[in-house]
Amino acid sequence: MNIKVQIRGDTLNIEGIKELSAANANAFRDQVRGALAERLKNIDIDMSQSIFLDSCGLGALISLQKTACTRGGTVRLLNPTPPVQQILELTRLHRVFEIVKK
Amino acid sequence: MSESPGKSSRGVALRLSLASELTEVRPAILAVRGFLAEQGLCPEELTACELALAEACNNAINYACEGARSRPIEIEVMCNAARIELRVNDHTLGFEWPPRIELPDSDSERGRGLYLIRTLMDSSDYFRAPAENSLRMRKNRLPPSARAAAPPANVEELSRRLAESEQIISEMAEELSSCYESLAAIFRYSAEQGKAISLEDFSRRLLSDLLRITAADWFVLRLVPKGQSRLVVFTASDAPLELEPLEVPPSADPACAAEVRSAANRQDVWFDEHKLLGSDDPLRRLKPGSLGLVHPFYFGDTLIGTVTVGKTVSRVPFSAAQTNVVHTFADFLAIQIVNTRIQEEQVNNLLMARDLQIAKNIQRSLLVKTLPQLPGLGLAGYCESARQVGGDFYDVVKVSEHSLLLIIADVMGKGIPAAMFAAILRSLLRALPELTHQPSELLSRVNRLLFDELSDVDMFITAQLVYVDAKERRLVAASAGHCPLLVAFANDTPVRALSPEGMPLGILPDTPFTEESAELPANCRVLLYTDGLTEARNAQGELFGQERLTDWLRATTVRPRQAEELKDELAAELVKFQANTSLKDDQTFLIMAE
Repeated sequence: MNIKVQIRGDTLNIEGIKELSAANANAFRDQVRGALAERLKNIDIDMSQSIFLDSCGLGALISLQKTACTRGGTVRLLNPTPPVQQILELTRLHRVFEIVKK
Repeated sequence: MSESPGKSSRGVALRLSLASELTEVRPAILAVRGFLAEQGLCPEELTACELALAEACNNAINYACEGARSRPIEIEVMCNAARIELRVNDHTLGFEWPPRIELPDSDSERGRGLYLIRTLMDSSDYFRAPAENSLRMRKNRLPPSARAAAPPANVEELSRRLAESEQIISEMAEELSSCYESLAAIFRYSAEQGKAISLEDFSRRLLSDLLRITAADWFVLRLVPKGQSRLVVFTASDAPLELEPLEVPPSADPACAAEVRSAANRQDVWFDEHKLLGSDDPLRRLKPGSLGLVHPFYFGDTLIGTVTVGKTVSRVPFSAAQTNVVHTFADFLAIQIVNTRIQEEQVNNLLMARDLQIAKNIQRSLLVKTLPQLPGLGLAGYCESARQVGGDFYDVVKVSEHSLLLIIADVMGKGIPAAMFAAILRSLLRALPELTHQPSELLSRVNRLLFDELSDVDMFITAQLVYVDAKERRLVAASAGHCPLLVAFANDTPVRALSPEGMPLGILPDTPFTEESAELPANCRVLLYTDGLTEARNAQGELFGQERLTDWLRATTVRPRQAEELKDELAAELVKFQANTSLKDDQTFLIMAE
């Protein structure tokens, strides 16, 4: 999977997610967890390039949210595309994740 | 991944298959998306179809067992101006479609797939059969705005698409016609519902139609009789059938017969060359080498029965749509069966109430309104019917100015038959006036006359005849197995209990009856009664008994009393004794007093 990971302060910044589906959700989750050094609390995921997200992809995001929570942090979804925003609203998870639009 | 689009004037279709791997899903769905975009779907529609289809495919792959992974998943897409239909067919074990689809808790990492499908689509149905499962999702299209026209294709491409499309359409037409046939059959049967047709004929016709629609060869319908836990064959395609009833245990193991397993475990049971019926299974004996389905059906939570449909000629397994037809028919049949049962019960209750009313009327008509009286000997009668009408009656026949024949009888049995025999006995006794002064002879004559009819229906009658002559101050009594005749005297003389020998009427055709006689001095009492008096019980369960009756009768002789007054007093005694109980048997007596 081709994602870009950056560390800014106590936040892990992830970019370049095009699709998050049953085919790659577990690999994505494991890769992000692997990059989450102990001192990092928050995970920012840039979803401005994401054209597809399914229920397995949501599962991976929830799993990461739980990890961040145990560290007193959170998962922020940055600039989600309309299809991503739609599935978040349909499943009422837009209230669970912090959604940041710039 | 392979794909084959089709196009016709009415709509377009696409069919593609993909290997049962999660990584295959995205490319397949992108192909569908491309196809739908060509049809001019708007972005919202495209997104919804894309996501619903992805969830459906992921489900099919996640529920596949190892063996099923080698079989591909098929996606069918049909699209016209009004609607899009998406089908995902797989060959896995499938899953139980939940009755209610709700969102899981927000921290759950799973369980949103079906919710998304339901929310994104206008309707979704899941059909399950052993060979395949089919998830069908439909979405109505938004009103046309500026839909892009499909790009023109060359003639070869066009004719290839046309051929594909025709095949898809003919398959759809076949399925549609089976849906239409089942609907039409159900409407037809609904219309026939009110007509007088037996439930058996009705079921046979319904299930024969089911065979035709599902291309099956035979059926067996078993029902659970009310209050039982057995499956009893009600009707079948091949009559006559010699299939034993099957007990339904609370839970059934795999060794049980298929019909028992289906009923006990509340699920469909399939059988074919891979899943064989047990060697003891009655269906295997009936139709060896069949493939088919047992479906249990319920009304609410109550098991009504099982319907089994099977194929022996064709080896084509039932499709998901045919299974659906079997379920629909069974549900419809369950409603009809329950309706019929409720109606039968109402009719039975009505008949029983009418039977009781007729019997009561007959019994009432037997009792003489005013009793003939003798000079110096008064007479009074009492008859109280228990709720269930029995056959007690008394009668008094005037023999001469100074003599009477007293009759008391108890027909063993209930309802109309008992009341009828009481009426016949009364008529016979009155029809033989030459014998009224010879009670034993009269009893043997009526016994011979009634014997055949009584023994045919296993009934018998106890009776007591007492000829009273007021001039001679004497009585002669004969008894057919009836309780004793009590005669009480003044001046502390012990009460006499007369029990002349004799069998009840209807036991033996020729049996002797003896006579006993008694003097009737001044201030005497004579009491004829039925065993309903001595066998009356109080709230503590104690019997009224003959001793209590005898004591009461003797006590009445201390001073002269009227028969009518004594009747009221004994009736009051009985009521008092049986306070807070319900009358179990008829209570009848005739009392004679100075």
